[in-house]
Amino acid sequence: MADASDKVTITLDGRQVEATAGELLIAAAEKAGTYIPHFCWHPRMKPVGMCRMCLVEVETPRGKMLTTSCTMPVADGMVVDTASAVVEKAHEGILEFLLINHPLDCPVCDKGGECPLQDQTLGYGPGESRFVEEKRHHEKPISISDLVYLDRERCILCARCTRFSEEISGDPLIEFVERGNHVEVNTFPDEPFVSYFSGNTVQICPVGALTAKPYRFRARPWDLEAVESVSLVDSVHSKVSVESSQNEIVRISGVDNDPTNQGWLSDKDRFIYEHIHSPRRLTVPLIREGDTFREASWGEAVGLVAERLGAVPGTAVAGIGGARATNEDAYAFSKFMRSIVVTPHLDAQLDDGLDPEFAAAVHPRARIDDLERAATILLWGPDLKEEFPVLYLRVRRAAAHLGARLVVVHPRVTGLDLVATHTVRYRPGEGPATLKKLAAGDGDLAAVRAALNEGPVVALVGRPGLAEDPRLAEAVAAFARDLPEATIMPLVRRGNVFGALDMGLAPTLLPGRVSVTDTAARTALEDEWGALPEGVGGGATEILTGLVSGDREVLVLFGADPMRDHPDPTLVRSALEAAGFVAAFDLFLTDSSRLADVVLPVAAFGEVAGTVTNLEGRVQKVNQIVPPPGQARAAWSILDDIATAMGGSLGATGAERLNKEIARVAPAYRGVTWDMLDWGDGREGIVVPLRGADQPLRHIPVDTGVPTVTERPAVHSARVLYDDGAMLRNCPGLAGLAPRAAIHMHPRDASILAVRDGDRVLVSAGASVELPVVIDAGLAEGAVYVPFNLVETAALGAPRSIRIDVVREDAS
Amino acid sequence: MAGEVHNPGFLLASLEKVVNWARTRSMYPATFGLACCAIEMMGTGASHYDLSRFGMEVFRASPRQADLMIVAGRLSQKMAPVLRQVYDQMAEPKWVISMGACASTGGMFNNYALVQGVDEIVPVDMYVPGCPPGPQSLMHGILSLHEAIKSGEIRHGTGVI
Amino acid sequence: MSWFADMLGPWRGFAVTFRQMFRPKVTTQYPEEKRVKPQRFHGRHVLNRYPDGMEKCIGCELCAGICPARCIYVRGADNPPDAPVSPGERFGFVYEINMLRCIFCGMCVEACPTEAITMTHLFEMSVTDRDDAIYTKDELLVEPDGTPRHPQPAGPLIDLEELKLGNGWLRATASSGRAAFEGLVAWTPSATFGAEPPERGQTDADVDDGNEGA
Repeated sequence: MADASDKVTITLDGRQVEATAGELLIAAAEKAGTYIPHFCWHPRMKPVGMCRMCLVEVETPRGKMLTTSCTMPVADGMVVDTASAVVEKAHEGILEFLLINHPLDCPVCDKGGECPLQDQTLGYGPGESRFVEEKRHHEKPISISDLVYLDRERCILCARCTRFSEEISGDPLIEFVERGNHVEVNTFPDEPFVSYFSGNTVQICPVGALTAKPYRFRARPWDLEAVESVSLVDSVHSKVSVESSQNEIVRISGVDNDPTNQGWLSDKDRFIYEHIHSPRRLTVPLIREGDTFREASWGEAVGLVAERLGAVPGTAVAGIGGARATNEDAYAFSKFMRSIVVTPHLDAQLDDGLDPEFAAAVHPRARIDDLERAATILLWGPDLKEEFPVLYLRVRRAAAHLGARLVVVHPRVTGLDLVATHTVRYRPGEGPATLKKLAAGDGDLAAVRAALNEGPVVALVGRPGLAEDPRLAEAVAAFARDLPEATIMPLVRRGNVFGALDMGLAPTLLPGRVSVTDTAARTALEDEWGALPEGVGGGATEILTGLVSGDREVLVLFGADPMRDHPDPTLVRSALEAAGFVAAFDLFLTDSSRLADVVLPVAAFGEVAGTVTNLEGRVQKVNQIVPPPGQARAAWSILDDIATAMGGSLGATGAERLNKEIARVAPAYRGVTWDMLDWGDGREGIVVPLRGADQPLRHIPVDTGVPTVTERPAVHSARVLYDDGAMLRNCPGLAGLAPRAAIHMHPRDASILAVRDGDRVLVSAGASVELPVVIDAGLAEGAVYVPFNLVETAALGAPRSIRIDVVREDAS
Repeated sequence: MAGEVHNPGFLLASLEKVVNWARTRSMYPATFGLACCAIEMMGTGASHYDLSRFGMEVFRASPRQADLMIVAGRLSQKMAPVLRQVYDQMAEPKWVISMGACASTGGMFNNYALVQGVDEIVPVDMYVPGCPPGPQSLMHGILSLHEAIKSGEIRHGTGVI
Repeated sequence: MSWFADMLGPWRGFAVTFRQMFRPKVTTQYPEEKRVKPQRFHGRHVLNRYPDGMEKCIGCELCAGICPARCIYVRGADNPPDAPVSPGERFGFVYEINMLRCIFCGMCVEACPTEAITMTHLFEMSVTDRDDAIYTKDELLVEPDGTPRHPQPAGPLIDLEELKLGNGWLRATASSGRAAFEGLVAWTPSATFGAEPPERGQTDADVDDGNEGA
């Protein structure tokens, strides 16, 4: 980034050190290996110089002066002393001041043992305080949100939390109040600290002033074991450190991985771990007996699945799921279905994503880091704050701090609108017309079109809502591809869905980004796997309709919950009921696995090691830290047993061995091994394909013609961060955070229907649910918004059209 | 002892009491000092505590002449087969005391080199906590074992309690 | 004379034996007679209470953290606001010591910020079942009146009175020993809690005097 002319030389404690011009002194010193103690400075936030701990002596024309190194940019020839007697005395003074009001209740403080204030008092403190007066007193922890406690006595007023919520997350809900000696951090009256990112303030708090409720008093830092891993809550794959005590995961902390999360996590990433140790986890295989299940041995369950899968022709079997599994598990499932069962009917998506070829192999593909250099960002897809919270932070950073122009096209107001240069609202179903208008720069979109003319452009495309046609995203990508220096990032949310697609869990793909129609690659794979099924398989919806019509008889749910995640739950229910046999690999008895004939308990996040692939194609490693509960096992080993019982062999004797097979067999993954990801630069993740490895499929997006839906009201059905998914439902800390389900209407539509805010209406599609009305001026006119997969709206799914009947109080 | 009498009459019951009493009166320990605990074990045998008061002064280096194995000290993985062989060579009835933290659980040495408790290798009749247990603690263990044998709680030293 | 010397030989050899016969015996007649243990002896632990009956343990896990044998398992929990178990926000919800792993080093006592855990003189705890060697909070915590509990009954082999001894160790590690503490009640003793006399002998003149208690 910086060329030689940017370099300056400073004298740091008598050493000649090279630094980048304009860099802060504290950062330059840290890079040169000299640690300067600090509390308020954070490398990812703007400096404020509030704690005064980073004082150093700098030579000035008027002699040596104490100055805060976190607000002082380096200059050529600067002479700095970080450990002189004056600096030491300053440190002692600052720490004595900071401790005047600090309660020193370290033994009961969750931060005790990993507290920067403790460490620096030990390292630089005076040892004794001359202060004998009574300390400041406040009410001990006050609850400022559903996830965070605030203890104002411990606060040292470093402003890290307030700066984070203002600068980084954009929810400035926590601020300094009062003056002078009474200054304290607090929320606004009657306004809790409701932020999707509140957990980050807990992590960056240099004292125990902000603590997380789910972690409160669960463990102390010295009895934690930790492994690096990545969060599988969404497909951004933020780097995390998973920490356990007594074989139980008790905390997840963000790790600063420059190309992905830059240290931040969403609260869902951070607190979702509670589901892993839920008492509702499945621990033994279950076999259906009438209306209930009975517990069975592994041998019996595996034998039954093998028998039923072997009893029908391969093409009568279909598999759905894999997006929650690791690449190794997905590969094992792909190999099992294609070479042992011999069926092409596989889909990791539940008709809630994009075309698999487009998602897995779009060209030219953007990386998250391209946002740092982008001049223009086009976002035509889901509300990032709800579905990709960490990517939201990256886009927000680019738009708010790096000067990128942001164009947001969405049917409803999104979290990014506040920092967007242009926002375009359109009625769902009228996407094609809006796209045509945008491409031509007609009318009011002329300014938006002009904004898109400056490159590099990063286009983030996905389905804005689940009722939207998936082909729209590709049409948008086809338009965006022609923008200057454009790169495209497909947005599909679920965990490891990109890894699953890359492992061939799609009707049109084979492992390693290969099209099933690619004869050369097919032959190469047949050498490894044996004969492959002919032709292109069916996608999730086709599989389900096939089950209803009787074309397919057996369904394997590989960690999927289509009852909740497929846009049409009515179809799913009839398909699962019509199926001759359903085997489910699952963590919990979900709505879907409740309808299965055999339920096999699998290991969850933190219980298996493997690789995963994120939305930019970055392969990273997840690691094991706790054993699976009861008899639950890694999915690949279950599949291996079933394959053996069916007379075949997967050759899966371990996850690492599967990884080696992937590195050999899957073209785009050639050469990517666990060793590379565990050590050195590979810990940041490796974007596949590696240089030298080929990727047979490069999908150039094309506009295939998207039909316009003109029905009124147009339905916008989108996910919210805290929905009623299987993991969240079993996570006590987060389960209560789901928003109240409602049907959102534009004020004008509401006035046509003569409903007011809070009135109840009956919403009918496949099923009918009664929902309260919320008047939402942020919605495109002529559209209604129904959140997807909340407790109340789950039965509805994401229908293309709905009927609204107003429930009149007097009529009942 | 294969044909155990399960419903002894007056005569056999009385005989058993006499046998049990006799067993506790001259219980020869096998020397199995492995570490610092052995020093305390020696101290227990010496005049200040004097195990000969219980007929136990003869520490036997030959397992066939010993009744009680006091595993005194940390048992390394390499020593484990030796321990088992000595135990196997002892004649029935035989008893084992696991003396000290390391012998009982590995103590503070929770690592690959040490057996985490000799009860992974031989059946243990009495665990004596301490690091090391003092002579009084060891004698407490020995006397508790005697009591258990006399009362019939421990019949013979195959770990059947 | 040589025959006389030859005849005397064996008797001379026995001289040592005969001499010992008239020396005082050193053998302690355990279990009838028990040796008095040194004041700072490291025996079984107890968990103490404040004079008002509240538990001293706050569940901070410092003892578990310092323990070189990792034999202590502690879990903290929120103090119920209406009926607090200990002063402050947190109390020791689970407290277990595996006596078979414990090496009685006393680091837990030194680490404890509230003097909740102290050591006593009881050291005879042999068990036939290793599960019995894991002392839970029920067994470690003293009764509200200060009487220590013990899983094994008192008898000729176990003197439960030893559980009430142990203040010497506590005094040695307490924050006293400094002139600033003269006249202050700097610590409360272990099992037999209650107001102890204020610290004395903290000045340099008679610094050695600070070591009585028990």
